[in-house]
Amino acid sequence: MNLADPRAAHAFRFVRRDFRAGVAELVYAFDEGPELVERITFPQAPEAPAMGAVALDAALDLLHLIAGVSYYKAGVPGGIRVESAALDRSTAAFLDTLYLHGLGEFAYHNRLDLRGRIRFPHGDAVAVANVPAADRDAAAAPASPRTLVPIGGGKDSLVSVEILKAAGVDATAVWVGNSPLIATCAAATDLPLLNIGRDISPLLFEYNRLGALNGHVPVTAINSAILAVAAVLYGFDATAFSNERSASSATLEYDGQPVNHQWSKGWDFEQAFHALLASRVSPRLRYYSLLRPLSELAVAARFARNTRYDGVFSSCNRNFRILGPRPADRWCGQCPKCHFVFLALAPFMSKPRLLGIFGRNLLDDPGLAGAFDALMEYRDHKPFECVGEGRESRAAMAALAARAEWREDALVARFVEEIAPQLPADAPVLDDLLKAEGPHLIPAPLARQLDADR
Amino acid sequence: MRGFGRDQGRSYNGITTRWYAALRHPYLPHRDPVNPSRAPLPPSAPWVVAKFGGTSVATRARWEAVADIAARHLAAGRRVLLVVSALSGITDLLKSIAESGDRLHGEEARTLIIERHRALQRELGLAPLPALERLLARLGDLLMDERGRSAALDWQAEVCALGELMSSTLGAAFLSARGLATGWLDAREHLAAVPLANLGAWAHYLAATVPAAPDPAAAAELAGRGEVFITQGFIARNEAGATVLLGRGGSDTSAGCFGALLKAERVEIWTDVPGMFSANPRMVPDARLLARLGYEEAQEIATTGAKVLHPRALGPLRRAGVPLLIKDTNRPHLAGTEIRPAPVDAAPCVKAISMRKGVTLVSMETVGMWQQVGFLADVFAEFKKHGLSVDLIGSAETNVTVSLEASDNLLNSDVLSALATDLARICRVKVIAPCAAITLVGRGMRSLLHKLSAVLAEFGALDVHMISQSSNNLNLTFVVDESLADELVPRLHALLIRADALRVEDGAVFGPSWHELCGDGAPLQPPAWWRREREALLALAAQATPRYVYALDEVRERARALRAIGAVDRWHYAVKANSHPAILAALEAEGFDFECVSLPEVEAVRRVLPALPPERILFTPSFAPREEYAAALAQDVRVTVDALHPLAEWGELFAGREIRLRVDLGIGRGHHDKVRTGGDASKFGIALDQVEEFRALARQHDVRIVGLHAHLGSGVLEAGHWRSVYLQLAALAEGFRRVESLDIGGGLGVPSRPDEAPLDLAALGAGLAEVRQAYPRFSLWMEPGRFLVAEAGVLLARVTQAKRKGHIHYVGVDAGMNSLLRPALYEAWHPIVNLSRLDEAPAQMVQVVGPICETGDVLGANRRLPECREGDVILIGVAGAYGAVMGSRYNLREPAAEVVLDRAGVAAALPRCPQERAGSAEPVAGDAS
Repeated sequence: MNLADPRAAHAFRFVRRDFRAGVAELVYAFDEGPELVERITFPQAPEAPAMGAVALDAALDLLHLIAGVSYYKAGVPGGIRVESAALDRSTAAFLDTLYLHGLGEFAYHNRLDLRGRIRFPHGDAVAVANVPAADRDAAAAPASPRTLVPIGGGKDSLVSVEILKAAGVDATAVWVGNSPLIATCAAATDLPLLNIGRDISPLLFEYNRLGALNGHVPVTAINSAILAVAAVLYGFDATAFSNERSASSATLEYDGQPVNHQWSKGWDFEQAFHALLASRVSPRLRYYSLLRPLSELAVAARFARNTRYDGVFSSCNRNFRILGPRPADRWCGQCPKCHFVFLALAPFMSKPRLLGIFGRNLLDDPGLAGAFDALMEYRDHKPFECVGEGRESRAAMAALAARAEWREDALVARFVEEIAPQLPADAPVLDDLLKAEGPHLIPAPLARQLDADR
Repeated sequence: MRGFGRDQGRSYNGITTRWYAALRHPYLPHRDPVNPSRAPLPPSAPWVVAKFGGTSVATRARWEAVADIAARHLAAGRRVLLVVSALSGITDLLKSIAESGDRLHGEEARTLIIERHRALQRELGLAPLPALERLLARLGDLLMDERGRSAALDWQAEVCALGELMSSTLGAAFLSARGLATGWLDAREHLAAVPLANLGAWAHYLAATVPAAPDPAAAAELAGRGEVFITQGFIARNEAGATVLLGRGGSDTSAGCFGALLKAERVEIWTDVPGMFSANPRMVPDARLLARLGYEEAQEIATTGAKVLHPRALGPLRRAGVPLLIKDTNRPHLAGTEIRPAPVDAAPCVKAISMRKGVTLVSMETVGMWQQVGFLADVFAEFKKHGLSVDLIGSAETNVTVSLEASDNLLNSDVLSALATDLARICRVKVIAPCAAITLVGRGMRSLLHKLSAVLAEFGALDVHMISQSSNNLNLTFVVDESLADELVPRLHALLIRADALRVEDGAVFGPSWHELCGDGAPLQPPAWWRREREALLALAAQATPRYVYALDEVRERARALRAIGAVDRWHYAVKANSHPAILAALEAEGFDFECVSLPEVEAVRRVLPALPPERILFTPSFAPREEYAAALAQDVRVTVDALHPLAEWGELFAGREIRLRVDLGIGRGHHDKVRTGGDASKFGIALDQVEEFRALARQHDVRIVGLHAHLGSGVLEAGHWRSVYLQLAALAEGFRRVESLDIGGGLGVPSRPDEAPLDLAALGAGLAEVRQAYPRFSLWMEPGRFLVAEAGVLLARVTQAKRKGHIHYVGVDAGMNSLLRPALYEAWHPIVNLSRLDEAPAQMVQVVGPICETGDVLGANRRLPECREGDVILIGVAGAYGAVMGSRYNLREPAAEVVLDRAGVAAALPRCPQERAGSAEPVAGDAS
């Protein structure tokens, strides 16, 4: 096949999208090049979508537009052509924002300035309410409230699962892709399971070989769009993600622009996507993050209450795709996620339990001093990973410094000697950071419970 | 109070002791299944106590096995006391009731318990049993009991005791219904716990201690009541008559107590494994059954890791002199492990290597008070105060380090934190975890130290936190990071065998290996090809020796086996293992590419295969000169770089080219032990901390890094190794934009000893398929060498002379270290046989030596061969890799020539090359024979 370098393309095209027998086909292309086809497989999809065909069409359109970001980024051409749907002004604005911020880290690493480059074409309408009145009937709505809770294999979604279980919510654990680690975590929840398949176009790898641009894409946005289709298809009226407060804060500022590694896990995206779903797909759909008002530390504290996931979960970004019986199979011990989760859990569980989970003591490895400095935002900027805020890391470290079983470990001792004296006297302590606060879209009864059950 | 039957009908916690006398029971046939006309046993008939665990009493088939075992003992003239556990899973359910104290959960668990027991009752063909129903009702009463609200310890004990009471009730009815008159005994009548001053209330109720000693009167009294009895493991009574539990492994403890009480002929522990092993068979398939052990050794093995027997069972038996047998319920014909007093003249020998994970070390440093009086007392008082039991102790003038065993308490409470806080008042305290304690067990350990040099060398490469050698001289323990243990134990086991410290040939101590007992029965390795080709080989040897013979069909078979595992996108043959043209051609025909480590190797491949596209050659040199890279690049072969120097100094050479980068994954990677400290000491690859610098150089010179490569070791037989290498490489590669392929090297092991299990290719394939799928972006390359050719090659030599010096016999052959260097270079073990006398029984232990003037010219030490005569043909096996390629003319002796045996006949059409080694110019044997 004769492939052209996508960096030389003039336009990225949203060619078409189909849905047949539970498989969504999302088709894209660079200029007149070969079609890039992504397939999303919804197992045992019902013949008739639970929330109606119009809602499904709208959800599939959004999915097609959002999932295109994985392919668009291979060349970031100046032109965007949407041949599969007509966009109104506000949808186009949503996509402009998503592509710009969702590719923020990508742009930073590739030394690109995407500002002003991403412009989705649109008609004159400000917003087209895509939801006909007929679909707002109770008939098209699910009989009883059901919630999709996406499982990522890490601690956050498992905390959500336990909150939903405790509240008696009818929840289904869902995940996208074929990670055995996530499948094992999902099975450990004791919830009904839904596994959605996702096959990226193999052509993308060919393009990479030709020198295509590569890097981070807003995968939470893509998964959110996939789950919106699932909700409409199977009849779930809510999707409860597990993004916490700190996911909203920028990782760094570059050329006057804030760059957030996890932008699509942030509050701005959550609000915008929730509004988009309500106006374009179905007003009955609720999209929210159950952990939004919580800090990473508060999530860690909740995770520590329950031991059932100790031997199966992993938040490690390097090893998370793989399941293994030994801690080293699940926790690489080298990446910022490993470092942060270790530090965040440490104040809330016994040292032997924590070391058993990770298979080693990361805080007694002098070679990791720089890595933990970065987490504490001491002399370095925050790493490009989904990790907590610097003050959280500092508070966790300060809590360990007060504990005899941790104090002699190399990095805790170093903190005591070198870093702690430089901290202001009124630096927040652990307890200050455990309060639920800030805006969220959590249904009221759950929010009350979250508040009460600290 | 140890008498039997004195308080029949006595009530414990509301449960009335019931006595199922066969003759009185309405539905029991009055018949002995073994021998209907058998006379009653004499009063002097010996006792046997047989204990069955939870899975052994969970199904009808298992109960029938129990009945058969009891009947056989009875037929052999022994009285039988069966000690049973609760049905598998029931104790956990009862414990969850006892510990949660939650009535709702309790009701759910009770429903499950009722269903399980009623289902088994039906499966056993029994009518509803009033006694069982009473016990089930009792569980309901206990759930409503006020004591449950506070999870009172006495209440917990009563709840948990029900499992054994129920299983034994079902068992008594079933055995009696089957015609084996079986009396039900309440263990609480006979086992009385004593309060120990040092134990708290928890242990008093849930892990009580029963002192048991022979009680002839009680034994006689019981003998007067019948011949076969069933009772409960795990439970006893305290001095007040309340129910208490014997703690974990309590059923074994009960069997031990009853064995001592009755002064039984023996106690049998029936379980799911054939006995105790020299290591955990799940980790070490080569672990040997321990046929006979002394009490002390068995106790040490059980304490330091083996799960098959609870060590508390052995104390009463040792004192009473009662032997204990561990038997396999599924394979009752196997002899099992027999534990009895050790013979006084037994030679010191390592019996087992055991391992415990989850060990926590507490290291305590005195704060500047050298020889401070009472320091140890103060320290240990804190451990006692927090209820923590210390296992190992290492002490110096200013430091004491102790180990704590894994426990729920340690994991899920803040006890360690509280302990550390208190200790910090008197010393500096450091908590080191997670650790594993690896223990060598055997009598006379201190006199074995000289044999452990290889073992100690293995530990020398690691960070050992603590070494402990007990004063009873039974063990030697090393505490290391837990992540190292899984791979370390099998290696240590092999080293101990090699060092003759674990003398597996001693049939009085060691039995067959786990694999032999529990594998599929097939031999570990198929018979070597050269047995089939013996005549052809003898004919070749008659022409000339020494010579290497390569069976090409074997090479092809290995190649096909590798390709069949899937997952790998590109296979390279590591030419350095054996560069014989016929082998290169055969592997090319099997679809292999070639990995060359020098320019001459590249040239050799191109000479043999002139039409081979250059991209099918991978050039991976080490410290090669600039000219070799230049020549390789000029030929368009794929080039791997493994240092900064080539890019930093000769960057223009690589400008605009694609290269692969070889990295050393060593540093900071705990789960591959040797590279962890060995990374810097190995000359290969670039260190991870130089990767960024390398990338910067590559950018500077417009060099594209399209592949990453790592090769971590050789002779690896664990299939999981490459999976972990791939994962590490993939994690690293994700940061590279243009990397397309990951080359995880070779090192696929070949078993040398006949008892080693070959690499599990299916497991290798499955592991690689999994990681490959997780990273669809990368193609997966491998480069095996030795695996393809080692077993295909043999070295034939002729006996030159025989000699005896003292008690050592030497057999000299005409092949030496100039033909096969591996034994001298790597202490490699090659199989050696006398091909002329293949069918004769081994006679002497000999040293097989070559003609080179070096003490190290030994091809095989301590081999048992039939008597060797001058001119006999000696075959040295597994010699196809790193044999001829390392040949030299040391002493001006020509190394062995090479000849190819090609049954498929493909290689006959090979082009001849003028510079080939002597052997390749010879006729291809496939034509001749």
